Amino acid sequence: MRGWVRHLRRLLVVLLAVPVALVALASFSPWSEASVGVGVQVGPVSLGSAAHPGASYALPPVYVVNTGTQAEAISARVERLTRGPGRVVPPSWIQFTGPDVQLAPGKAARLPLELVVPSLAKPGGYLSDIVVTGSAVGSSGMANLGVAAATKLEFQVSPIPAQGLSPSFPLWTWLVIAGLLLLAFAVFGVRRSGLRIRVERHNAYRGATHRLGGPRA
Amino acid sequence: MPDYVIRVRRSTSWIVVLVVLVVIGAIFIANRAAPVASNGSSVAVSLKVVPTIRSVTVSPGTASFSNCTGGSTGADTASTATELGYPNGQCWEGTPGAAGSFPITITYNGPPGLVYVNGSNAIPSAGGIQWGLCNSAAACTGPGGLPGVNQYMVKIFGRGSDNSTELTGTQTCDQQFDPGGGCGSAASGSSQTEGIQLIGPESSGNTSSSWTVTITWAAAPLGS
Repeated sequence: MRGWVRHLRRLLVVLLAVPVALVALASFSPWSEASVGVGVQVGPVSLGSAAHPGASYALPPVYVVNTGTQAEAISARVERLTRGPGRVVPPSWIQFTGPDVQLAPGKAARLPLELVVPSLAKPGGYLSDIVVTGSAVGSSGMANLGVAAATKLEFQVSPIPAQGLSPSFPLWTWLVIAGLLLLAFAVFGVRRSGLRIRVERHNAYRGATHRLGGPRA
Repeated sequence: MPDYVIRVRRSTSWIVVLVVLVVIGAIFIANRAAPVASNGSSVAVSLKVVPTIRSVTVSPGTASFSNCTGGSTGADTASTATELGYPNGQCWEGTPGAAGSFPITITYNGPPGLVYVNGSNAIPSAGGIQWGLCNSAAACTGPGGLPGVNQYMVKIFGRGSDNSTELTGTQTCDQQFDPGGGCGSAASGSSQTEGIQLIGPESSGNTSSSWTVTITWAAAPLGS
């Protein structure tokens, strides 16, 4: 009888230990459920107005999210994937101005971009894609499986160079001009509000009043 | 004593106009701000919106090749189970066919879009000469269209499809996402399970014993 109970205990221990060990192994194995993933905003990155040759513009930052289960290093580049009309954006025109981005799982970031249009840029519409790549640190001797996501990049380049568009006056000049305009507007407003001068003559003999009227100041 | 009086008055017409405008504005604002009569009940209405993020997720994040075959026994460079041999040994991650295994899962999310895939050079751990990626359409210089010296080839295959996609260094449509084997659009939440076949070089100019290859899946807008 004792031997049978002992045997039953051992059997129970084994039955419990095996699934517990499997669960522990699965939870501690780094690659068991690991995934890499990256997402990017669907809306295109575009400039509100036409860009001018020789000028630089801050583009709207690109929203990026890590959809995987492990930390990733995020990088971005310009590449033409989208078909359609429009010149290809030379990668050197787009500068990623922020620091290197490391994203924890589920976290998001915005990558700042700057558009630098050379002075000899051809006018017209430009179309390419911002391709954001997420990569986890892999081991040598393995196949690293990377992920990327793309969103459109589009803008227009005007034929008018930047120098001919806005004179490079210093800020104080613009402030003085604005102040003078404000002063002129105030003077005009006061004059329009008007001071009415009325001259009334009392006629002592007739007991009547002659209104001589008055000019509006 | 002067027989006249000079009276100076500010014109009041513009003040009247201003007051009228203020009154009209106040009435307008009061009308807009007036609360709607309610009996105290409320209705919860759910609303779905289109996705604003396009993403691709690959699981697992790394893969190990196994089931390596080929190479030359005579030259003592035959493949072992986990080591690629020369010339033109082959290694697999998963197995093709109806009863095969497809250990890599690629999931697309977002508005309908395209899934691309591309490869890269194989990087030796010790540095030095890399293996360039080639395919049957271009630049494989080995016998029978196989990779030549310092070249290698990668194909991906999927369940339920006889098509395998040869990778290049540029973005290529992942045909596993299109039942027709073309470049069809992927719907949000769609996923594919895939495997990888690697064919090694005819010979290597680098004695490194460990190499790393990177395969990247990309989610892109339609019209790409």
